[in-house]
Amino acid sequence: MTTSTKSTVTRTDGIGASPRRPDGTAKVRGEFAYSSDLWHEDMLWGATLRSPHPYARITGIDIARALALPGVYAVLTHADVPGVNRYGLEHADQPVLAEDVVRYRGEPVVVVAADHPETARRALERVEVGYEVLDPVTDAESAVAGQGAELHPGGNVVRHVPIRRGDPDAAAEVVVTGRYEVGMQDQAFLGPESGLAVPAEDGGVDLYVATQWLHVDQRQIVAALDLPEDKVRLTLGGVGGAFGGREDLSIQVHACLLALHTGRPVKMVYNREESFYGHVHRHPAVLYYEHGADRDGTLRYVRARIYLDGGAYASSTGAVVGNAATLGVGPYDVPNVSVDCWGAYTNNPPCGAMRGFGAVQAAFAYESQMDRLAAACGLDPVEVRIRNAMAQGTVMPTGQVVDSPAPVEELLRRVRAKPLPPEPSGEPDLRTLPGGVSNTTHGEGVVRGVGYAVGIKNICFSEGFDDYATVRVRLQVVGGEPAATVHTAACEVGQGLVTVLQQIVRSELGVERVTVEPSDTTIGSAGSTSASRQTYVTGGAVREACLRIRDALGALSPAELGDKVLDETVEWRHRPTEELHPETGQGNAHVQYGFAAHRAVVDVDTELGLVKVVALDCAQDVGKAINPQAVLGQIQGGSAQGLGLAVMEEIKTEGGVIRNPSFTDYLIPTVLDMPPMSIDVLELADPHAPYGLRGVGEPPTISSTPAVVAAIRAATGRALTRVPVRPEHITGT
Amino acid sequence: MIPFDYRRAGDAETAVAAVAGNPGAAFLGGGTNLVDHMKLGVAEPDLLVDVTRLPFDSVDPLPGGGLRIGAGVRNSDLAADERVRTRYPVLAEALLSGASGQLRNLATTGGNLLQRTRCGYFQDVTTPCNKRRPGEGCSAREGYHRYHAILGASPHCVAVHPSDLAVALTALDAVVRVRGPRDGHGERAIPAAELHRLPGEHPEWDTVLGHGDLITAVDLPPLPMAARSRYRKVRDRASYAFALVSVAAAVELTGDVIGDVRIALGGVAHKPWRATLAEAALRGRPPDRAEFRAAAEAELADAQPLRDNRFKVPMARNTIVSVLAGLTGEEPR
Repeated sequence: MTTSTKSTVTRTDGIGASPRRPDGTAKVRGEFAYSSDLWHEDMLWGATLRSPHPYARITGIDIARALALPGVYAVLTHADVPGVNRYGLEHADQPVLAEDVVRYRGEPVVVVAADHPETARRALERVEVGYEVLDPVTDAESAVAGQGAELHPGGNVVRHVPIRRGDPDAAAEVVVTGRYEVGMQDQAFLGPESGLAVPAEDGGVDLYVATQWLHVDQRQIVAALDLPEDKVRLTLGGVGGAFGGREDLSIQVHACLLALHTGRPVKMVYNREESFYGHVHRHPAVLYYEHGADRDGTLRYVRARIYLDGGAYASSTGAVVGNAATLGVGPYDVPNVSVDCWGAYTNNPPCGAMRGFGAVQAAFAYESQMDRLAAACGLDPVEVRIRNAMAQGTVMPTGQVVDSPAPVEELLRRVRAKPLPPEPSGEPDLRTLPGGVSNTTHGEGVVRGVGYAVGIKNICFSEGFDDYATVRVRLQVVGGEPAATVHTAACEVGQGLVTVLQQIVRSELGVERVTVEPSDTTIGSAGSTSASRQTYVTGGAVREACLRIRDALGALSPAELGDKVLDETVEWRHRPTEELHPETGQGNAHVQYGFAAHRAVVDVDTELGLVKVVALDCAQDVGKAINPQAVLGQIQGGSAQGLGLAVMEEIKTEGGVIRNPSFTDYLIPTVLDMPPMSIDVLELADPHAPYGLRGVGEPPTISSTPAVVAAIRAATGRALTRVPVRPEHITGT
Repeated sequence: MIPFDYRRAGDAETAVAAVAGNPGAAFLGGGTNLVDHMKLGVAEPDLLVDVTRLPFDSVDPLPGGGLRIGAGVRNSDLAADERVRTRYPVLAEALLSGASGQLRNLATTGGNLLQRTRCGYFQDVTTPCNKRRPGEGCSAREGYHRYHAILGASPHCVAVHPSDLAVALTALDAVVRVRGPRDGHGERAIPAAELHRLPGEHPEWDTVLGHGDLITAVDLPPLPMAARSRYRKVRDRASYAFALVSVAAAVELTGDVIGDVRIALGGVAHKPWRATLAEAALRGRPPDRAEFRAAAEAELADAQPLRDNRFKVPMARNTIVSVLAGLTGEEPR
């Protein structure tokens, strides 16, 4: 499929078609039940008291006045956590409720349950917490250097990953260096953290929650509650977007704790401000790069030091560091590489997973460097990239040989070959000008610029992680018609997984009626809805289960099953990966790579510093487009999120405190900021992946940001080493 | 949000008396600003007197050619009024550049003028703020102040007024009509340019209004030159964002020179900033970019930007030049 916004419709709505999403109509009509809509007749409302300080010692907690408030059913502190008061995705370093120290502003200290959200909020105001305020650590680079307080035992380095390949002393004729900064981006999902915990007669609890991975939540909850796994059952609530921000726990343990304590169902919903404090963000980064090349632009070496601010708790910082390091030179063939990446503990808001996961930060730096290199060699930016483009067979800086298509050159050629948008002429449409309908520019002082970028992302979990999905597929005749059901714990977060699983079953079993049951923990784990992995892994598992059912069917057609039920449960893995060598960073750490390239065209009002992205065209290889319309949706959405990071999205922190925790002050692109896109979707099969498919969701976010910034640089001549780019950076004031 | 009483006013006199008689009372218009502040704990009124049913919901002609805008006229309706669009385009443009469609459908003319600053510290009750709690100190002066004032600030406050509408009204020499507890059945008239105040020693007072004063209308003078007027708003995204800098202007050419001119700036001060120095510098001068630039620089000569908002000075200058050039046919080029 190429250059098409139309989908190829097959009669069966199987693979390659774009059937209507089962949740689509309800969402558009405002009838979809999100987790914040959950309701139980006799439920209580939970609320969270959070630290007002980025770093402080707790000298005392007095809950007496809160408990005395009529309508309050429970006021709980760390002393009420029955199990281990520590959780975390990679390291259990985060208290369920703070004990002796709070390490970030917004850290949960006390939770309450009351008969009304307003009563719960009032109860929080009556809790007295004594704090001895401490000097916060707010700079990642100095934290890595050992300056400031030690926030966790063992120091403030969460993880350091070195990558060493080739000659560490390699020299080159042309050398370009740069220091780059990436601001803290938010996932900005629309549905705030929410869920409902219902205590059960067996002493356990049923939790309905919006999350990305039910089983990793369950694992952390049972440890904190000191319950066996079968006593904590999770069901997925309606998820209003995730983008990585729901990988970590938010209300999960708190709601269960309150439900078990009160014997009543407990609902918790964060408001928007609390949501900004209630989930992790994209790591802000400082990146130092040096590229050495021959005069013709051929790369000789890349050296880099990358500092990621992980905030107060580890979350997934370790894996983010691994990605930024292993993907730190980008989709290029570089013989000599020396990259060091550190993730630091600070007293800033915790950072963790967000679409692009470490690859975004590195890409802004290495693509900015490639443009500098092009300028230093007198080359076209696309030419210098093509000259160094990796391909199938390339050896990565980790020593891993790329064993599936890596069409970096073709992606670049495709975006370059697309027609450029027409130059503005005549009376311009205000919507097309910088500043848009706000009428700030009428074309005076407007300069056009074009920029290119290409990026790389690992797909699925890496570094030796046992990454699998469990699915159960059943086939039977219902009402005279063959029907299949699919059960998994995989989380539909809005990306369209439910539709894709239906399509796979339709194609494999030849049945039209496919029901995907609610996701819950009565079946084994399907892994996380992250790392662009669900279609690959859970989709792969569904395919495997269908193949087994086809074997069992033998010569029968599904309609001829009679009373028989064919029932297959499969635990399916992608091929294993390896850990990185701790000193050299060598190892076959990744399963698959995904690639996208963008060409951005911008009009910049150089007097006022305003940018209008006129075009943001993309080419991406997806291996196989299972659902072409969903593929285009992912590419458009990912590109918009990258545009946001390029020109407006940033959580502003000041001494560890978020200064803009609202959607009025944290700006995400609106439809007026985002141009229509021309998209080329390549389908070069990966022989190791089901259907040859490649994860789709993350690559377009990665190359979008540097392409937009490159275009602004081309228009203004400014260095622009930090994102987001603001008007004052363009006007140089 | 603390509990509060709600009363719907049947007439202006009752509304004024109800608020004036209770120091904790407030008028409720569209609620798009006040209710947010109640949720944040910034405002804690114990009585809301709803004035949206008062008969102030029309735009009527005034003898002599002006317009009277009822204080309850919604921003969307006012921006769509044909007389406003043709005779005072700056006003319609200012309204449409503000907030979002949903907010404009609710927000009222009077409430828009009385909205409070978007300073992050004003909204965060855990931080010191002289505007919220006089004497506590100003967190923005040394803090995150990219959006803050470059003109007319005081050591006590560097906030800016967020209204776009107020900037246009200031440029148009509009007059705000107020009924207060001491006005009996009568009303007072306050020039729009004098409604808002500079922070000085008392940043807690945004305007010259007293407790219980109710805005009933805004009068637009018959200003023929306003037919050639424009509002430009520079901001971080194309819609639904507050101004970094905005400019409302109207120009009248007399022969080859500027006969009369009105300029007001938004996003730069605690009040809509009427650029009287620039206006004086331009009257009688030829309409060219060098003159516009010199006038803008004269207006901004006393600007005292903060550490992180120096960019606003050249941005304000360039926006003034750009708007005036547009109004006088100097663009595009």
